[in-house]
Amino acid sequence: MADVKKESVTRGRMFLLVLFKSLKIRKNRVAITFFSIMIGASVITALSSVYFDISAKMSRELRAYGANFFIGPKAGAESRTTDAGAIREAVALVPADKLIGASPYIYGVVRLDLGDAVLAGVDFVGLRKLSPYWQVEGKWISVDFDGESCMIGKTLAKNMELKVGDSVNVIKNETGFQKSLTIKGIAETGQAEDEQIFVNLELAGEILGQQGKANHAMLSIVSEGTDIDSLARNMEGKFPGLDAKPIRKVSHSDGKILDKIKGLMAIVAVIILTVTTLCVMTTLIAIVSERTREIGLMKAIGADDRDIVRQFLSETLTIGLAGVAAGMLLGFLLAQALGQAVFGSFITFRMMVLPVTLVPSIAAALLAAALPVRMAVRVVPAQVLKEE
Amino acid sequence: MFFLMLRQSFVKGWRRKVLATATIVLAASLITALMNISIDVGDKMSKEMKSYGANINLVPKSENISLEIGGVDYNPLEGQFLIEEKSLPKIKEIFWANNIVGYAPFLKTGAEIGGKPGRIPLIGTNFDKPVAVAGDEEFRIGVKVINPYWQVNGAWPADDEGDSILVGALLAKERGLKVGDRIDLRIGGRSGSFTVKGILSTGGSEESALVAPLAVVQKMAAMEGKVQSVSVSALTVPEDKLSRKARRSSEALDSLEYDRWYCTAYVSAITHQIEEAIPNIAARPIWQVAASEGAVINKIQLLMIVVTIAAFIASGLGISSLMVTTIMERSREIGLTKALGAADSEVYLLFLSEAALVGVVGGLLGCAVGALLSQVIGLSIFGALISFNWVVIPVNVTISVLIALTGSLMPSRLITRLYPAEVLHGRR
Repeated sequence: MADVKKESVTRGRMFLLVLFKSLKIRKNRVAITFFSIMIGASVITALSSVYFDISAKMSRELRAYGANFFIGPKAGAESRTTDAGAIREAVALVPADKLIGASPYIYGVVRLDLGDAVLAGVDFVGLRKLSPYWQVEGKWISVDFDGESCMIGKTLAKNMELKVGDSVNVIKNETGFQKSLTIKGIAETGQAEDEQIFVNLELAGEILGQQGKANHAMLSIVSEGTDIDSLARNMEGKFPGLDAKPIRKVSHSDGKILDKIKGLMAIVAVIILTVTTLCVMTTLIAIVSERTREIGLMKAIGADDRDIVRQFLSETLTIGLAGVAAGMLLGFLLAQALGQAVFGSFITFRMMVLPVTLVPSIAAALLAAALPVRMAVRVVPAQVLKEE
Repeated sequence: MFFLMLRQSFVKGWRRKVLATATIVLAASLITALMNISIDVGDKMSKEMKSYGANINLVPKSENISLEIGGVDYNPLEGQFLIEEKSLPKIKEIFWANNIVGYAPFLKTGAEIGGKPGRIPLIGTNFDKPVAVAGDEEFRIGVKVINPYWQVNGAWPADDEGDSILVGALLAKERGLKVGDRIDLRIGGRSGSFTVKGILSTGGSEESALVAPLAVVQKMAAMEGKVQSVSVSALTVPEDKLSRKARRSSEALDSLEYDRWYCTAYVSAITHQIEEAIPNIAARPIWQVAASEGAVINKIQLLMIVVTIAAFIASGLGISSLMVTTIMERSREIGLTKALGAADSEVYLLFLSEAALVGVVGGLLGCAVGALLSQVIGLSIFGALISFNWVVIPVNVTISVLIALTGSLMPSRLITRLYPAEVLHGRR
């Protein structure tokens, strides 16, 4: 009984001694093993971090397409206008970090110097964020209380022979309104906006005799899937007089594009993960197989096969864990570099990245150590030591 | 002697060489696949982006200012300038004809339903109609092609049906219309009876309108052969400095720049060519789609390039570390060669030519595997093959050889510095 215990103690101490010595003496090999595992792990960490964040990042990029959400009076309601205050409250229901931009709209027909045109009242600050695709010659109106300026669509400007800096008379017979406005910018969108004249919401209310009213509002909201539908239901529940819905043209396509990008990123990440893991494995196999002599010697002085395998595996595990830890740190930094380069923002750290990096790296390292050792332990010690 | 040693090194140490080649094959295939994809991702995503709908709008050149609010036009259709429908197939004859995915003509007017007052917008368009054009027998036009986001609850009417109609979702709710109902429409003096084939959801102003085959609306509005506007969906490349310069004024371009602009699929070049092909129309880019598409595709391309670079650095380091191990373990052999009188330069030459050989073989194999890999990715994500770019092969083989060489350089230097006696004695 005592003998067995004593033997197990010495075996345990021997194991630790060999492990320690092996790590201390073969500094070169340890460094290379550590290095290659670290590189592998850092690539995996960086890519999986980017992958888990890609939806959030790309859905923000897709907001270049402008409004994807509409709020207006209920279908079938008598009037086509509604209280601008109610719309503003409804817009406030959208979480601030998800809302890219929003603007209420009010429309009416007015007379300009050379003919009739559609006048749109908007919130310029919101509109600029809402529609980054507007091609503006001149300047955007940058404050929303500017009552002296207007923006004008390109076709309308051409037909009415107007240029940036000119002034234009806006006349509304029904309200008796007449005022000369300065054209700050000429906008081109290729759509209905090309034929409209834009002023701020308050001024439009005054011109059209509809103070404090709006036809509808357009919103640009960051959405990663169906959350926009539940937002619409929630909004309609709180404001029964309003109709809130995603704009199908944009939100439907957003979803499809996001799926494609996610799929692409996933498959690229999986391929890089596999290839990097295999690269780490080949390096480790090369390192372990050159130690066949050492294995022969260990067998010759009485180690059994299990001891040797355990010895090599724990050696690899120790280096591997250190390598993965360093790799994760490096990889997270790499992910930030990636995020800054592509999206100009930081990549959020997610817990999922830890197992995704740890499991394949360590599994690959252990497998790579076990394969050549298993081959090596089968050889006859004398043969190896004689170098045959 | 040198070639003998080289051959011996490959014959005796074949296992080592197989490992090194395998690693290079893996790394090279990864880089090949990623490079191929980054080069082609712009085209592929541009096709996907077509789900946002048309990116060019054609209108008559001398157009009146439309007074349209919420889909209701306050201008009468009579007396407006219109586009001849029969001139439209010319869109498919421009320089960039292959980039035209499809188009849909529109004619908007107002109609009264069942004698009730109030003009409801009535839109005439093609749904899915084959059009004979040279070089593309299967070319189809219509909203089903260019606006994939249009969703119909029920069935799409056929373009040659005379009594089928789609009702916008909002309008259907308002008027209590269902699929299968019959409605009577009146425009001025003419009237017609229609069956509701489907309820249309688009999220746009079409939801409060009626949509009928173009021929039917033309007949009812007495505007045979005329359309009001045409939406065109074209594959374009993102805007850059040249196209912005061209947009400000095409006179500012010198002849070389003009040729380059004309022969690039910029949205502005395509609209210019359509205007050349069809007289009396103005082609305008719909910037919501055209500009945003460019922005998003540029992002995706940048993402792929950055990922490729990251993978490239990682595989480079992986190959280097493998090279270090395969050389370091041969210290005894090198000690012996040096003891027998080999110069340092000869040892270098041996290692470097070994590395170059492994790099070439691995690089070529890697290209083949990588090409396959990129096809797998292309098929599973885009449902289409990725076009193989021949630039990738020389780039990849050069890169593989360079990595193998630089990876060997450092350990070769270490190993030639060792003293033969020490190595042979086994102290190192």
